[in-house]
Amino acid sequence: MAASSISRTPRPERASGLDGQRALGAWLAALVGIVAIGLGAAWLLESQGSGQVAGVLRLLTLAATIIWAASGLFRIAVPAGPWPATAGYAALLGGGAAVAELVARAGFAGSFGLGLTLQVIAAAASAWWTWRVFRGAPRWRVQAAWSAATIASAAAVWFLVRHDWPVAATGLAGVTGMAVGCVLGLAGLRQALSGAAGIPGVARTVLDEAVRMRVSVALLVLLVVMVPTLPLLLDHSERLAYRVQFFLNWALGGTGLILGLLTIFLACGSVCGDIDSGRIHMTLAKPLDRWEYLVGKWLGIVAFNLLMVALAGAGTYTFTKVLGGTLAADDADRDAVDRQVLTARAEVLPAHDKPEEYDAAIDAAIRQLEQDEPDAFRRNPAAARRRIRQEYDWQWHTVTPDMVSTFVFHGLPTGSEGVQLQVKPRANNVDIDLADVRFVLSINDRPWPIVDGQHVEQTLPSQAVTTLEIPAEALGDTGTIRLTVANRNLVPAGETRPTAITFSPGDGMKVLHRVGGFDGNFVRCLLVIWFKLAMVAAAAVAAATFLGFPTAVLLAMVVYFAALGSGFLRDALGEYNVVADSALGSVAERIVAAAGLAAQFRFYEAGRMLLGFISDLVLWLVPAFSDYDAVAKLATGIAVPMGNVLSCLFKIGIVYPVVIGLLGWVVFDRRDLIRSST
Amino acid sequence: MTATEGIDIKCVGLTKTFRDFWMRPRVKAVEGLDLEVRRGQVYGLLGPNGSGKSTTIKMLLGLLSPTKGRIAVLGRRPRDVATKKHVGYLPEESYLYRFLSARETLDYYGRLFRLPASVRRERIDMLLDMVGLEAVEHRPVGEFSKGMQRRVGLAQSLINDPQLLILDEPTSGMDPVGARQIKDLIADLGRRGKTVLLCTHQLSDVEDLCDRVAIMFGGRVHAEGRCDELLVQEDSTTIRTDSLPDGVVNEIRGVLARHGIGHLDVERPRRRMESLFLEIVERARAQGTETSGARSGGQVADFLRGHEAAKRRDAPAVPAAVGAGVADAPVETARPVDTGLIDSLINR
Repeated sequence: MAASSISRTPRPERASGLDGQRALGAWLAALVGIVAIGLGAAWLLESQGSGQVAGVLRLLTLAATIIWAASGLFRIAVPAGPWPATAGYAALLGGGAAVAELVARAGFAGSFGLGLTLQVIAAAASAWWTWRVFRGAPRWRVQAAWSAATIASAAAVWFLVRHDWPVAATGLAGVTGMAVGCVLGLAGLRQALSGAAGIPGVARTVLDEAVRMRVSVALLVLLVVMVPTLPLLLDHSERLAYRVQFFLNWALGGTGLILGLLTIFLACGSVCGDIDSGRIHMTLAKPLDRWEYLVGKWLGIVAFNLLMVALAGAGTYTFTKVLGGTLAADDADRDAVDRQVLTARAEVLPAHDKPEEYDAAIDAAIRQLEQDEPDAFRRNPAAARRRIRQEYDWQWHTVTPDMVSTFVFHGLPTGSEGVQLQVKPRANNVDIDLADVRFVLSINDRPWPIVDGQHVEQTLPSQAVTTLEIPAEALGDTGTIRLTVANRNLVPAGETRPTAITFSPGDGMKVLHRVGGFDGNFVRCLLVIWFKLAMVAAAAVAAATFLGFPTAVLLAMVVYFAALGSGFLRDALGEYNVVADSALGSVAERIVAAAGLAAQFRFYEAGRMLLGFISDLVLWLVPAFSDYDAVAKLATGIAVPMGNVLSCLFKIGIVYPVVIGLLGWVVFDRRDLIRSST
Repeated sequence: MTATEGIDIKCVGLTKTFRDFWMRPRVKAVEGLDLEVRRGQVYGLLGPNGSGKSTTIKMLLGLLSPTKGRIAVLGRRPRDVATKKHVGYLPEESYLYRFLSARETLDYYGRLFRLPASVRRERIDMLLDMVGLEAVEHRPVGEFSKGMQRRVGLAQSLINDPQLLILDEPTSGMDPVGARQIKDLIADLGRRGKTVLLCTHQLSDVEDLCDRVAIMFGGRVHAEGRCDELLVQEDSTTIRTDSLPDGVVNEIRGVLARHGIGHLDVERPRRRMESLFLEIVERARAQGTETSGARSGGQVADFLRGHEAAKRRDAPAVPAAVGAGVADAPVETARPVDTGLIDSLINR
């Protein structure tokens, strides 16, 4: 038998039509040419007064563009006969649309509905046609499905718009837009990571894995569905400003949480999966350092998160604008939406009227405590000092009936724009939660506000946030105002003394002034979300370098939730334990103190001190996401300062990932790459 | 560690002890292993399951770090990126990303070797052609049968045209056509001066291919040497000739008796099952029978034959046949190739 008698099956011809870069360039150039020449000529004609001819020319240009675009599309899949395929497509979509439009305008009973139905049928038919043409080319099957789905979805949106269901149309358009954006963005990222090197190679495969892993697809669907549909579920009787706030909070908060979990599952799944399945043997037998492998994994997840954050952000932004544009309850509501939510304001907290005297008084009190209770003081001087200052601050922020308190705000704008005074007063000594609080204000020692010659008294619900607009005239031009509060609360029935009013330090009283727009603030907020996810990704990758999948996920989640709840944890632990101002000084101080206690056989106290030390250490190790609460700020119209974003980038997005990554690498570089026994 | 010219793998006193979570020694997988593989050798590492073959290989690849002993691969540390650039590795099981297609898989590994896109595309075309997966290149690897995954694994191990090829059970899970093809490939590579470390318990593979073998048991090498030296039976001789009538046999018996040799076995040589199988598959293919599985695969990819620049379509039509790689080229005397098989293929 002659060896040469074996017939080799010829390789299937590679899709050629638009494969060559030159062919693609020519096709694109022709597309641009058609649009430019057609529209240019139409514009010229219109400027000469031939409006009707220009209209016809525009229609022709549109048709030619669609046909040329479709032909280009079909040349990818059917190199032999793109034109019959294009003709079929144009006939189905264009012909169907034209007939439907004629029917809709015919004016007989039900003609509009019939026209719409025809239009949808035409679109569905062209979607089916696209799918059919591409189906034969396995390489393009996915693209075919997407093209067909997009056409079908666009038709459905069109149908909803014509039937006057704008909300449903917006929702569907949003879902479609996000899905299409997801696919296009993914293609873009894969292109960006197409370099022939180790790190982008690994990163690119993580992207593929992210899309094809089931957990991530489930979470992705949740994300894509949640953001656009959330506005539809909100209670329409609620005030618009609250609805917009609620939407921003939940859409972005939900995005962060879902992506945080997705990041953990993806990172641990990818690394542990490689190790447990043995795939890592093949990858690391290639010229790839172990650190490159880890960086590649991290980079892939960070790139994926960038796409997801951008998509969810685009969705949230669009729907915030749609929601913000709907009918407000009243003028005040509209004003609140525009000036208190969809804006970026800086906060100014009050300073004491006489800061030197105030500080001197606090210092004296601290010295007094040091003398009276030296033992208690020495156990934790920082905490004692902080406690005294807090007591004084509360006192200062409490306006008793017999006293007039003054709060000074520095660094206010001096232009023509006013500022907002935001107060959250609380009536002390009243058992009824919602009792009204009554007081009068003066600005720079002049009564304010004056209406019809009368000094208006403020009557506000207790514990509620109220925003008062202070016009530019009342501010003066020094950039500083002195706000004086006089208590007007009466003696409540059954009480013997009048009620004090407390504006709790921090959030009880502040002045807000506009420093920027909502758009920039929104982008900064997205950046902060992304940086936090980069930290979560590093923690998860590092955990997966030495733990099996379930344990690694658990550890990464502990770190993530500790970071999320770091503010709360700090407050809670700070009450009971000792939180030092300087970590280093306190280590020695506390070890000595604990040893001293143990030497006196006071083991319980020594143990407590050690526990406090450990909890402090954990808090110190875990990054404080609460320092960068961009979503809460955005939803309340507070500016996320660029400095805060950069600090977040540096600490959360760079320093933590590098430190955690180094820890992971130290372990990973030394370990044997076999299935983990733990 | 000194780089000795011409020695691609050198291990001295290599020991690997696996420890449990508490760092207690649990298994001594390899103990005091010395190994030397010279450039251009096809070296067989033989041994029953659990004899430490795979552990040795993983240490050579830098995936495990030795407890004791020293390793030089291509004159450098195994973990060195410059070493791994010239090493190809086929693990004992095909560990692939299930969601990537065959082409994407090869592209991924090509990227890790920093091959430019044009080289990658050309080599992947050739490799897919060679392992017979060009028709299913866009299907996810997870849908492939074990043998087809194995073919992808083989293709990825060759994408960098390695100087040192480490194959762990290369023919396991392969049909005889694929197994024959791998053997041809190994023979081809050996002829081109590439070094192949073959780790297997398919004794026939070793017999067909290897210059030297080491037989391992319990983490130690128990025998090492040239394949033909180890296998030659000093106390007998085989004579092969055309079919003989009984009279001639009796004459020979007489001649032998005159020399004082009383023992003579005469039998019709049986064909090997392998050659019969290959012939049947070949005939079915020639008749145009369709298959949804892997195709036969073509010739050894050009770049592996040292024709990197040659355009695939312009390349001279090398007879594309199973076994052709061996039949085609002059067989070196030093290499024990089963000439009987080739004869049976050609002179059917």
